Amino acid sequence: MFFNSLSYAIFLPVVFCLYWFVFSASKKAQNTLLIIASYYFYSCWDWRFLFLLIFSTGLDYFTALKIENSISKTEKKTWFWISVGANLGFLGIFKYYDFFAISFSKFIEGFGFQVNPLLLNLILPVGISFYTFHGLSYIIDIYKERIKAERNFIDYALFVSYFPLLVAGPIERATHLLPQVKVKRNFDLQLAKEGIHQILWGLIKKIVIADGCAQYVNLVFDNYQNMNSLSLALGAVYFAFQIYGDFSGYSDIALGTSKLFGIKLLKNFDYPYFSRDIAEFWRRWHISLSSWFRDYLYIPLGGSKGGTLMKVRNTFIIFLVSGFWHGANWTFLVWGLLNALYFLPLLLSNKNRTHTGNIESVTVVEGIKVFSQIGLTFLLTCLAWIFFRAKTITEAFGYIGRMFSNLEFKPQYFVIERYNYELIPMVALFAAFEWFNRYRIEPVSGKYSYLKIAIGIAVLLLFGVYSEYKNFIYFQF
Amino acid sequence: MKRFLLYLLSIVVVFIAVVYLLDYTFTAVYKDSKPRNKIALAYKSKPQHYDVIFLGSSRANNHFVPELFIDRGYKAYNFGISGSRLEESALLLKLLLKNGTKIKNIIVEVDLNINSNGFSDAVRADFYPYLKDSETIRDYYRHKNTDNFKELYYLPYYRYLKYDARIGFRELFFSAIGKQSKNLQHDGFYALKNTGKNMEYDLSEYSPKKNVAYEYIKDICKSNKIRLIAVTTPMCRNVKNIAYFDEVVKLYPEIYNFENVVTNDDCFSSCGHMNEKGATIFTKYLLDKFFK
Repeated sequence: MFFNSLSYAIFLPVVFCLYWFVFSASKKAQNTLLIIASYYFYSCWDWRFLFLLIFSTGLDYFTALKIENSISKTEKKTWFWISVGANLGFLGIFKYYDFFAISFSKFIEGFGFQVNPLLLNLILPVGISFYTFHGLSYIIDIYKERIKAERNFIDYALFVSYFPLLVAGPIERATHLLPQVKVKRNFDLQLAKEGIHQILWGLIKKIVIADGCAQYVNLVFDNYQNMNSLSLALGAVYFAFQIYGDFSGYSDIALGTSKLFGIKLLKNFDYPYFSRDIAEFWRRWHISLSSWFRDYLYIPLGGSKGGTLMKVRNTFIIFLVSGFWHGANWTFLVWGLLNALYFLPLLLSNKNRTHTGNIESVTVVEGIKVFSQIGLTFLLTCLAWIFFRAKTITEAFGYIGRMFSNLEFKPQYFVIERYNYELIPMVALFAAFEWFNRYRIEPVSGKYSYLKIAIGIAVLLLFGVYSEYKNFIYFQF
Repeated sequence: MKRFLLYLLSIVVVFIAVVYLLDYTFTAVYKDSKPRNKIALAYKSKPQHYDVIFLGSSRANNHFVPELFIDRGYKAYNFGISGSRLEESALLLKLLLKNGTKIKNIIVEVDLNINSNGFSDAVRADFYPYLKDSETIRDYYRHKNTDNFKELYYLPYYRYLKYDARIGFRELFFSAIGKQSKNLQHDGFYALKNTGKNMEYDLSEYSPKKNVAYEYIKDICKSNKIRLIAVTTPMCRNVKNIAYFDEVVKLYPEIYNFENVVTNDDCFSSCGHMNEKGATIFTKYLLDKFFK
């Protein structure tokens, strides 16, 4: 069941009605309904992995209590590492085992030895990277005594498995979500309206922008050897919009859905393509993951407190881990590495926190400077996205090599009977629209909201891609 | 909550209004604009008198050159459509006749397209803008128990949504501005210019089957006193199971097997499609054989 499917369009109103009309009497009833709905939602992909989710939830719940109740430091540490080991173990087995086995055998073969690695060929449980990180943040917070362990299993299970965020985030923190889950939610008209608006905006980003770009992106990347420089450059730009529309669209639908149930989730995107440098980009892109790595990896490693070498080391570690979190492929690792390299000059010159606020209205001269910075950051990001999208590193280098060496800039006609430039007005319009709404969560609320809704629905129906169903990219992570 | 439910209800109303408005606009534009494909041409053009029309898939569209017929004084048009199956050809023929068009001869390509009784979902989509207006199209698909016919027919805008790649906004826009389509140039013939290399085709999984749509075309021709000439068209030399064409003739003895009329590889763009040179040789052969 995907957010852009008919089944979700039925599921959501049913759960909404049950939540507010049948199970609204108490917090316990509300949470019970949400947990049942969440497990049903998850089992629609593969019911077998529901047991893994429940086991993982149970394990973290239990070990958290054990950590909190530990008498000695050793006992506390033991339970902590049991939990961390189990969480990372599941992730490692399902997501990374085959990759490492194959990589290792290839490495050994390089020395002339023949190795037949034992492969598990496991299906990756949807959302495992997300709910594992939920669990880990909770356990770490308990261990560091930042929060108290949750004693109510239903409440804790809902924190981990709440359906709007279950399969692709945002990666929530116990400090933010658990307090909301612990109290009975009362209906908030304004919040619910915002939710509807955010869902509509998310659907437009996904079905119009991301899926529209996907058709061209797939063609360009799958046939990059036959594409000229113009098509390859456009392919990279289209992919930048595809992944942004896809993932931020997903996040908007998740946040909007949650608002309908009176629960606010963490913001995951803040107009990242208007960043003036890479450091700012990473404060605006997939915020819940970036901040997770900052709080649970970068800072424990020493953060920026040590010497230059320590700072550089820590930066590379979080970018490489972040890249690898996305998937078991060297391409993600190179993507992370490239971002670390982009970040390095800012770090070394202490300029990584230069741009922290929103871009205010500026003079013409300042405007030129700001737009140049945004343009450069966007280009660097697009270049890195090529590694993210390519199937192999060789393919990514082949793509980039051809893009800079072919130097043909004629419009190409694709087999889908469209020219490579046909999407330019749409993405340009979308970028302009985002620019003028960059202070807001979504552009639908406010004055003339009915008119905006009508236009939004028309845009969705007119320009959306429906003939070819496209899943959300981040579901595979 | 009551206010929110009313708010949701108003959004539903807005949604329904937008859907109806879009459906009306799309249908009106497709109905009133200049034809951009052969189905629209068949549906919208004034009654014509054709000496010869050609039907079939891309192997008709790329292989029959009406200009050569026209040069000899015949009024001819190539209604072959890339990707179409005989089912779509049959409906297109029905539309033409319903329109009042008179046809003396039909040359229909019947070869690879009777490997199954399938249909082309993409080409079907080109009929759907007229689904509500045209009794012929409506009855044809209703009679065929087409999957999701009810949704296509009764749900406003659904057909434009489901087939957005074919009849969505992009095609609507081109229709509205009257952009010319390559499909209708050269009397419907689409010439392939290049010469293929290392061409091959595997027909080992192919076996001809009785084809409902072909039988239907035969019936239409019989009842309208149209001379039907069914032919197979050439393929390159390197074909696995070329005996498939003999099986076609065994199944339907009235079909002329012209698979080997053009054999030189320089006459082919790909193994299944002749280039302009091959199409010209082949069409001249047909002219000489049937229209002396």
